[in-house]
Amino acid sequence: MAALEIAEPEKLDDAYTMLGTEEGSIRPMGGGTALMLMMKAQLFKPSKLVSLRKIEALTGFSLSVDASHIRIGAMTTFSELEQSPMIAQHLPVVTQTMKTLANVRVRNVATVGGNLAHGDPHLDLPPVWSALGASVRIVGVDGERVVPAEELFLGYYETVLAQGELIADISVPVRPGWRFFYAKVTTRAEHDWPALGLCVGVRAEGEVIADVSLVLSAAVDKPTRLKSAEAALRGVALSDAALAMAADAALAEVHIEGDGRGSAAYKQQLLRVHLGRAIKHVMQGSASA
Amino acid sequence: MSAITPPPFASRSLPRLEAREKVTGRIEYTHHLKLPGMLHGKIFRSTMPHAKIKSIDTTAAAALPGVYQVVTIDDIRKVIPNPYYGPAFHDQPILADGKVRFAGEPVAVVLAFDKKIAEEAAGLITAEYEELPAVFDEIEAMTAKVLVHDELKPAATFADLKYLKGKKGTNIALDYQLRRGDTEAAFARAEHVFEHTFRSQQVMHVPMEPFVSVADWQDGHLTLHTASQGPSFVRIEIARLLGLPENKVRVKVPYLGGGFGGKLYIKLEALVTALSMVAERPVKISLTMDEQFFMVTRHPCHFTIKSGLDASGKIIARHCEVIWNGGAYADIGPRVTQKAGFTSAGPYDIDNVTINSYAVYTNRPPCGALRGFGAPQTAWAYECHTDMIADALKMDRVEFRRKNMLREGRPQASGTPLRDAEIERAMDHVLDRMNWSAPFDRGSGNIKRGRGIGIGFKGITSPTTSVAIVNLNADGSCALYIGTVDMGQGSDTVMAQIAAQVLNLDPASIKVIHPDTDVTPYDMGTLGSRSTFHMGNAVRIAAEDAKQKIEVLARELGLPQGANLPLVDMMKQKYGMQAGNIIGTGTYLADYEKPDAQGQTTKGTPFWGVGAAGAEVEIDIETGAIKVTKLVNVADVGVALNPKAVQQQLSGAGIMQLGFTLTENMVFRDGQLTNGSLADYKIPTLLDMPKSFINEHVPNAYDAHGPFGAKGGGESTTIALSPAIGNAVADALGIRIYDLPITPEAIFRAMQEAKGAPLEEDA
Amino acid sequence: MSTSRTIQFTLNGRPATADIAANETIVDMLTNRFELRGARESCGQGLCGCCTVTVDGMAVSGCLSLAWFLDGKSVETVEALSKGGVLDPVQEAFIEAGAFQCGFCTPGFIMMVRQLLDAHPDPDEDEVRHYLTGNLCRCSAYPEIMDAVKLAAAKRKRASAA
Ligand SMILES: Cc1cc2nc3c(=O)[nH]c(=O)nc-3n(C[C@H](O)[C@H](O)[C@H](O)COP(=O)(O)OP(=O)(O)OC[C@H]3O[C@@H](n4cnc5c(N)ncnc54)[C@H](O)[C@@H]3O)c2cc1C
Ligand code: FES
Ligand code: FES
Repeated sequence: MAALEIAEPEKLDDAYTMLGTEEGSIRPMGGGTALMLMMKAQLFKPSKLVSLRKIEALTGFSLSVDASHIRIGAMTTFSELEQSPMIAQHLPVVTQTMKTLANVRVRNVATVGGNLAHGDPHLDLPPVWSALGASVRIVGVDGERVVPAEELFLGYYETVLAQGELIADISVPVRPGWRFFYAKVTTRAEHDWPALGLCVGVRAEGEVIADVSLVLSAAVDKPTRLKSAEAALRGVALSDAALAMAADAALAEVHIEGDGRGSAAYKQQLLRVHLGRAIKHVMQGSASA
Repeated sequence: MSAITPPPFASRSLPRLEAREKVTGRIEYTHHLKLPGMLHGKIFRSTMPHAKIKSIDTTAAAALPGVYQVVTIDDIRKVIPNPYYGPAFHDQPILADGKVRFAGEPVAVVLAFDKKIAEEAAGLITAEYEELPAVFDEIEAMTAKVLVHDELKPAATFADLKYLKGKKGTNIALDYQLRRGDTEAAFARAEHVFEHTFRSQQVMHVPMEPFVSVADWQDGHLTLHTASQGPSFVRIEIARLLGLPENKVRVKVPYLGGGFGGKLYIKLEALVTALSMVAERPVKISLTMDEQFFMVTRHPCHFTIKSGLDASGKIIARHCEVIWNGGAYADIGPRVTQKAGFTSAGPYDIDNVTINSYAVYTNRPPCGALRGFGAPQTAWAYECHTDMIADALKMDRVEFRRKNMLREGRPQASGTPLRDAEIERAMDHVLDRMNWSAPFDRGSGNIKRGRGIGIGFKGITSPTTSVAIVNLNADGSCALYIGTVDMGQGSDTVMAQIAAQVLNLDPASIKVIHPDTDVTPYDMGTLGSRSTFHMGNAVRIAAEDAKQKIEVLARELGLPQGANLPLVDMMKQKYGMQAGNIIGTGTYLADYEKPDAQGQTTKGTPFWGVGAAGAEVEIDIETGAIKVTKLVNVADVGVALNPKAVQQQLSGAGIMQLGFTLTENMVFRDGQLTNGSLADYKIPTLLDMPKSFINEHVPNAYDAHGPFGAKGGGESTTIALSPAIGNAVADALGIRIYDLPITPEAIFRAMQEAKGAPLEEDA
Repeated sequence: MSTSRTIQFTLNGRPATADIAANETIVDMLTNRFELRGARESCGQGLCGCCTVTVDGMAVSGCLSLAWFLDGKSVETVEALSKGGVLDPVQEAFIEAGAFQCGFCTPGFIMMVRQLLDAHPDPDEDEVRHYLTGNLCRCSAYPEIMDAVKLAAAKRKRASAA
């Protein structure tokens, strides 16, 4: 790891100044877990890191007064979310996802903002935020903008964030009547990065899938909403035939790449199987809410 | 084979002598060693699998502030004119010498006082190559025009490898041959003939303490501090390289953070020695976890096994064609080829056997010894083959084994008779723990369940020597001087127990002096399950020698028989004060007879390692996902001198082999390793441990030649585990997997293949 | 803002000061400047836990954390656990259960098991397995580590009841 500078601004404005707007070797730092890995591997040699840990505006998480949204500050750590009874009550799928995400020590420091900004398509949380319909508030010298989580990602390690822009927080709707489940499918070992990450949400009316939210990650270059599969399922009664049609639709609408975790053909099979299983799982209500 | 009551002292499950230092984190590893004025070396590695080096540009690195020196082979030649080393062939250059033979090979080293600066500077070195055609596959390498080495240079260091020549103009470093009976004739009259080919993948040891060595060259003598399993060999080989007598080279080894066969022979030692001579300062190199994949690995193996059977289901002929992918440098591959070749026909009584076992060079990272010396790769083939034959003949898989099993006193393929090897009892123990005769749940819905067993054995490297010194101080306290390296297996504790047993002392009171070749006597190496047997015997002999000297002293002092005067009083009487020592020495060399040209010998191994395994698996037929729900490992270790330590070896080796069976695999693309980090090379975690996991040794076993009936057991449970799982998969699905590792995708592919709807491969 | 600075923190209960570089990890600082051996780097990637320390009571990988951020914090390493020759109950349990072979991973496991038992005084098997997946033991002392956790939980309960 090469020599570098560290700055720890306390105000957002100072952070903007330090980061500048020139693409280069100055980066913001959340928990630093992803940055450290890249720096140790000499994949990334920053001249300066701007730590966000002293900026109060990026911290904290709370339920809105009308209980319709949860705001989560970008510097919130995974462990804070994992251990929060409020999150367990309103966003149980987040609590569920934490259990197999990295390990305790990483969760103790990794942050919600750093995780989103990293843009690695194998991360477990981005598809969850996307399926939940979360929106991301991005701030910078030129003001702020709000982007749906699923629109944050442009491709492999690519996001809409410009140099100098920061994720300030995310807003996650609490969706009564919905049940969500995150299927982390690993192939090389029980504990691994996912070969396939699939977040599934349904609003069930009896046996009928009144509404559905499906986001796929890991097997694709960015978290991707399975729109055709959603359309195939919306308003339909749960049946093996319906699930098979949804799987066909999903396979037709995404491009799956093979890698060390599985060939493209195999991951397609995994998607087919786990899409059906995850939907059945949430429809049965035995899911994480 | 008669059971005796284990002696009281030696068979206690004494906790490790060094337990407190380990839990407090204070124990000494080479990892932490610092010497005054020490430089850190960082290796710059080749990016080509096979290429001529046109030039190396070190200017930017040398110019980085804080860099002491950048070293290439040209600098090393000035201090070591012939800078090639190796235990079997002197084929490995200390740094790449005009040519690179695998991607990841050390090409240059940056030296700096600050490790980070050395790292940064190494990133600034560039090299230009002229790419050469390369060969990666062992089958191709057998006949390829591409030669990894233009010249083969046998080392002739070890007795068992004296006859090594290599085959001129080929990539074959060793072709081991064994001939017993008339295999061709037997095949001709066989009622049934079966032939199958199995493959094992390249895997790595992954010691948690990565490879590390420190050299300190001063005024014509050298001190090496190194995480090595074989200090005596390191001394001999480094002395040879430097043209020095052995007493000018001192090798010190504290505790090791794991070894598993990787830290044997010469690893970083030659390099740090050369660097210390060049820089005239102490030099340390510690590899990162990722760099370990380029140090030493386990041989991929390609094994075609063919059997002929008579009408009754008796195996009458077996032909084994075993090809070992040794990577770019032979390391100890020839011994793996020979040792594993020797038992590759399996623990069966077969009159007509032909074995050809080849070590071949390829342009991959070098392969060496890894827990089992190739026995696990051969058992993967012969035990899957066993089930396949039984099934084809509609015979019970267990009864088929019994019918053909090699039994006490019968000659194994080499002609060496089986002695004190509880193969059948190990199998029966597994069957018992598996509840084999109870009805078995075969699963339902998308889950299919199956179960399988495997048995296996291995020979032990021979002839080898261990020497021990027992030193009794004038106050009666005892120190043991041995070259056995405690890398986690608990040898310090067990050796203390053996000495204590003879001398009637409390084993916890004995101090074990760690390997320091200026102080501790010769030992061939901590490898291949040999220490408890060889060093254990040497310690026993040394302790007996000391005991005898005490008796002589007692007579000299005119003490009446059975006076049992404490040693301190005897010493005071003898020397007029508390002074002097009683020194007992012991040397053990196992009985051995060199094989003839047919590979036949009646004394091919000092003892037999024996393992049996049973597995239950659950397979998701929609995805191929596999869970080992139950795993039983049983080994014959003779008398378990420290039952707890034995149990740890059995279960530890079992879980390691579970990784080699299901998840671990070094994946290459065009000779480039694509998953050389623990993020992508998956070793078992707690989550991979089977819910039901049983590890036991065969009760009341006894090795007549071992110390107090004991023999080694650090490898036994690696042997039969993979085929037990492969057989369980076949039992569940009716589909055979031929290649390791058994991944979910491999299973799913095999299922689709069987359905006639093969899954598309990635382009 | 600079490439090095002096940090002041608490190390195993005592005040400590160090002049560190911005790119210095916690484990490098502890080994090189404080000669502590308990936290040690193995995988260097946050995966194995050999470098585990706690910062303000929370476990982190010392190989993935910069020493820079320790200013004003309290750091504990395995060296803090035994005092005057008396071991922590988790350390005792590791010895009694034989939960290690080479010992290289052991301090990391012990630090994590303490955290585990703080969070779940009476963990079930599934909780233990998940909590400790971030710790690798190549000697595979896993069965004995499971035993040690149970034993340590019992010891702690006994100690708090007494
Ligand atoms: C051992 C290990 C195992 C892992 N296993 C998993 C796993 O199983 N599943 C999984 O999903 N993930 C896994 N991860 C990845 C982990 O989730 C990410 O490293 C982590 O979420 C990144 O968060 P961070 O706060 O540490 O980011 P940082 O490293 O601080 O930053 C990451 C990127 O985001 C930028 N950034 C940080 N904060 C902001 C902000 N507020 N606004 C704009 N840009 C910002 C940084 O400049 C950098 O480019 C693992 C990581 C490790 C080390
Ligand atoms: S060395 Fe830090 S987690 Fe492995
Ligand atoms: S005891 Fe050796 S790595 Fe765990």
